[in-house]
Amino acid sequence: MKKIGNYFKDFGLAIAHGDIWVKLSLIIMGAGYFGRKQIMRGILMTLLQVGVLASIFGVFAPYMSKLNTLGTVQREEVFDIVTMKKTVNNYDNSLLILLYGIIGILVIIAFIALYIGNIKATYRIQKMQENGEKLNTFLDDLTSFKNERFHITLLTLPSLGVILINIIPILFMVCIAFTNYDENHQPPTYLFTWVGIKNFVNLFTTSQTITFGYAFVRVLIWTLIWAVLATATTFLGGILLAQFINHEDTKFKGMWRTLFVITIGIPQFVTLLLISKMFGDNGIVNTFCSNVGILDFFKNIGLLNAGDSFIPFLSRPGWAHVTIILVNIWVGIPYQMLVATGILMNIPSDQIESAKIDGANKFQIFWKITMPYVMFITGPSLIQSVIGNINNFNVIYLLTYNYKTTNMAMANSHANEVDLLITWLFRLTNEYSNFKMASVIGIVTFVVCAALSLLTFSRMIGGDKEGVYR
Amino acid sequence: MKKTWKIVGRHIVLAVLAIIWLIPVFWLVVTTFGVEKGINTNHFFPEHWTLANYHQLFFEPDAAANFPAWFKNSMIIGVFSCLVSSIFVIMTAYAFSFIEFKGRKKLMSFSLILGMFPGVLSMIAMYFILKMLGLTDSVVGLIILYSGASGLGYLILKGFFDTIPTSLHEAAKLEGASEATIFAKIVVPLSKPMIVYTVINSFLNPWMDFVMVRLMIKSKNAADWTMALGLFNLLQRALVNQYFAYFCCGGLMIAVPISILFIIMQKFYVEGVTGGAVKG
Amino acid sequence: MKRKLVSALLVSTMVATAFVGCGSAAEETTDSAATETTEEGASSDDAIANLIASTEGTVNIDLWCSETEEYQTVMKKLCDDFAAQYPDVDLNITLGAVSEADMKDRVLEDVEAAADVFVFPDDQLEALVKAGALNEVAAQYTYDMNETDTAATVEAGQYNGKQYGYPFTASNGYFLYYDKNQLSDEDVASWEALTAKAEELGKEVGCETANGWYLYGFFKGAGCNLTENEDQSNNCDWNNETGLAAAESLQKIASSKAYKSYGNDDLLANLNDGKVVAYVSGTWNVNAFSEAYGDGYAATKLPTFEVNGEAKQMASYSGYKFVGVNAYAENTGWSMLLAEYLTNATSQEAVYEATGEGPSNTEALAKASSPALDALAAQSEFAELQRVGGNYWTPAESLGKNILEGKVSQKVLDDAVAGITQPVE
Repeated sequence: MKKIGNYFKDFGLAIAHGDIWVKLSLIIMGAGYFGRKQIMRGILMTLLQVGVLASIFGVFAPYMSKLNTLGTVQREEVFDIVTMKKTVNNYDNSLLILLYGIIGILVIIAFIALYIGNIKATYRIQKMQENGEKLNTFLDDLTSFKNERFHITLLTLPSLGVILINIIPILFMVCIAFTNYDENHQPPTYLFTWVGIKNFVNLFTTSQTITFGYAFVRVLIWTLIWAVLATATTFLGGILLAQFINHEDTKFKGMWRTLFVITIGIPQFVTLLLISKMFGDNGIVNTFCSNVGILDFFKNIGLLNAGDSFIPFLSRPGWAHVTIILVNIWVGIPYQMLVATGILMNIPSDQIESAKIDGANKFQIFWKITMPYVMFITGPSLIQSVIGNINNFNVIYLLTYNYKTTNMAMANSHANEVDLLITWLFRLTNEYSNFKMASVIGIVTFVVCAALSLLTFSRMIGGDKEGVYR
Repeated sequence: MKKTWKIVGRHIVLAVLAIIWLIPVFWLVVTTFGVEKGINTNHFFPEHWTLANYHQLFFEPDAAANFPAWFKNSMIIGVFSCLVSSIFVIMTAYAFSFIEFKGRKKLMSFSLILGMFPGVLSMIAMYFILKMLGLTDSVVGLIILYSGASGLGYLILKGFFDTIPTSLHEAAKLEGASEATIFAKIVVPLSKPMIVYTVINSFLNPWMDFVMVRLMIKSKNAADWTMALGLFNLLQRALVNQYFAYFCCGGLMIAVPISILFIIMQKFYVEGVTGGAVKG
Repeated sequence: MKRKLVSALLVSTMVATAFVGCGSAAEETTDSAATETTEEGASSDDAIANLIASTEGTVNIDLWCSETEEYQTVMKKLCDDFAAQYPDVDLNITLGAVSEADMKDRVLEDVEAAADVFVFPDDQLEALVKAGALNEVAAQYTYDMNETDTAATVEAGQYNGKQYGYPFTASNGYFLYYDKNQLSDEDVASWEALTAKAEELGKEVGCETANGWYLYGFFKGAGCNLTENEDQSNNCDWNNETGLAAAESLQKIASSKAYKSYGNDDLLANLNDGKVVAYVSGTWNVNAFSEAYGDGYAATKLPTFEVNGEAKQMASYSGYKFVGVNAYAENTGWSMLLAEYLTNATSQEAVYEATGEGPSNTEALAKASSPALDALAAQSEFAELQRVGGNYWTPAESLGKNILEGKVSQKVLDDAVAGITQPVE
């Protein structure tokens, strides 16, 4: 709070104590620099101001003014059957109003920050001039981006990209959760509007017909189990395989690595599709299993009913869950092996040597030296890969796009037992145009992930761990 | 003697694992040589062998399948988004690893949180943003889409940068090198293996995506599609019976450039070792 | 010869086709009350002449249709013929390949960027209309579908009493393919006989039971009902005594070793291996079946099945394909003319020749004959128009799976019905 107070206090002070050039900057943002002969800076700043203001008033204002209702004029068309021409009224498009409105607001916020910062900067320059300090030339400014402001040089473009591709769409979808954007309210022909938290109430309600709450809990639990198991198994598997191949006794290391890596080369949707065919109810694996008697074996030990004529690898809960995890190991280990190989090669050899001299055995070296080192480098990215797995669309979707549930309560909200939140979302939007519920589920997923990972992440990068291996 | 057995055992284990990993790939390969164009889940090996599928793949584009065009489009998009996103990732990782600036930790946490929002959901918004910019159906639009948010994937490279001794960094600074020089002349060469990994990852993403691209490419002319989109489209009910072998051929052919990339990458690992030795 | 403009829309030369929001009262249908006023000078030729006169520059029309080679080729030719009809106008028609099953999804992603004219199956009509993607067929200029097509076909292209689709094919329903070298007429008459014979032969027969589209046939055949309300929710009585009996009967049939519920891929694989001797499918698989069965290739209406000791004829959904004009089409007039051209009698014949799909135009249909189309015709008296709300499919699929796994009970049916009939907000 105090920080914010100071922020505006400084702004006020700058205006109050600023000379004519600072005050002129309130209108023409470059004025403060022109006054101190920083012409280039002044021109750039003024151009920026003109551009931003023009875009706000020219492009975004009409949309922003309708943000409160998301549009009121529905599309109407008149077709003249004699001239065969169609005339259409000037209708509102809720989706564009929302999207452009959000972008407009972001632009305005950024502009205000820039505006305040600009006034403060001109005041600072005024002070520097008064104290007789040397003012930066434009060239000095440019050089500073190679040195003390290098991080700005580095981060500007990536940040812009993230804002465009990531932040704006996220804000947009968050807003959708509070609207009635669904099958019956699809722009551009129809309007949607704000409905408050009704969709969230729906998610946590369970009755015989509204089963979102029931399905949500089950889908969420499986999503979390999947994410943790999928990450842990491939991570450990990858390191072990890398160790195994890197071992001094192993011949033709490159060849072995290549053999595993070939599987990465083929796109996931090709291999996963093939695997889902192989493990299908009538697939080749089932044919094989019933020929060699594995099917009967499973029946004998009670894993299958006597009436089953196939092993439901991907078509019954439980079975499907296990198969999915196993297939994911198949998919994921080669990747992890590559990462681990790269890292293992760089383990400080002196540490291992000294440990050997101290008489540590291989097992101890692995757990005491190798693992901490690998964890140090990949730790934060492990959390990222847990999150990646929560949102791992490909594996689940491609393996189970034919899965049919027998659980009516799940079916009634278009979910099934092997769905992750993300595949459920996808189906809701893609097949049922139910954007509002999909957004709600997306937000809840997001909150769960954020809470979990912030806890662990602050541990990982907290403290002074960053410098351990330097 | 015991040692020999251990070595043999080790190789047998590796061989068994490799076979498990290669069975689906093997099936893919033999299917491409089958006379049957449709999918067959009952046989492992085709009943009759042919090379016709490959001929069709390279020389007989039709309304539904145009592999040469797909390959070209995917290559262009892949190479450029790979360039842009690798640069973004390296820049972000460097900034977060070596430069102590105000709000660094906060930015890092924020970027981590951003990565958690399900991407499938924001696709529609992304589409309309591209439409606003007039970039739907264009290669540029797809490149922006694939590389724009790539800065968020900096974590593993940053982890690697964190192991480069700060002393190196400081020594260079004392000699008057700017941050930009240190970045280009010292840190990047030291991190080659990890950077190669990053580059390959950035290439794979656009190369294999079939969900997002479906929404972003509006053209229904097969010559405008990317590889993943085109191949995935062949799995439609109306087509799969005619094009499954074609699909497998295409899948196999995609693998070729990737596999070459990986084989090149092996070389960098060796350099990674020497890099480590200098450092240690 | 001047043709009269079809339908009564001339009474007022302009017709406001305001898209009425869902649930609000449907406007009076203008089509049915057609009083054909014969105003001099307002003929279709004049309208087309007006259009030609007012058209400047190139007219770009996008057309999306099935991606199969046969379809693309025949449509390309038809488009060229259409353009040749109007030598004074620079028509530039671009063909796009979109799977018909996905047409709705592809169009609705961004209606404004979608094709001006597209071919879609009738089950997508409702979703397309609800999203405001279809242009109403306010008038016809070159033929009158009420004269050329059966009333049922025309009706299938309507929603809330308004015509949205130009009837294109009428063969998108399902029936039974079988191998007459292995099965006799008696064998394919009932599911009980069929499964018994298949068990004896060691072969497979079946129907994709875990799919609401096919499952409907069993319940409807037994005498249960599934209808759609105005707000797109469903009425369903499958959990009554008849429904339970039907489900149990189907469960009994499905418990046969010979009965399979294959998805399309598995079906084709097993068909090519010679395992499947009879299966419920449609014209999209006609080539696969005729190749697999050779001279034994045959098709017939769906079999009967026993409910409470009584043989009931299995019902089915009839299926149509329509040509639709995008409500956001750049050149509505030209798009409508193209849609009409693609669906007239000669075009439909050409499509039949190329793809084997049965024309909706009765005149063209009369010239077409194949085992599949004959089977469809035999099944047609038991076929219903598919009008069902979106909440039907997932619960029905799940119900089918329960039946296949032998888990039928009153509770399963109750839950399924609750899901199918859940209210639409």
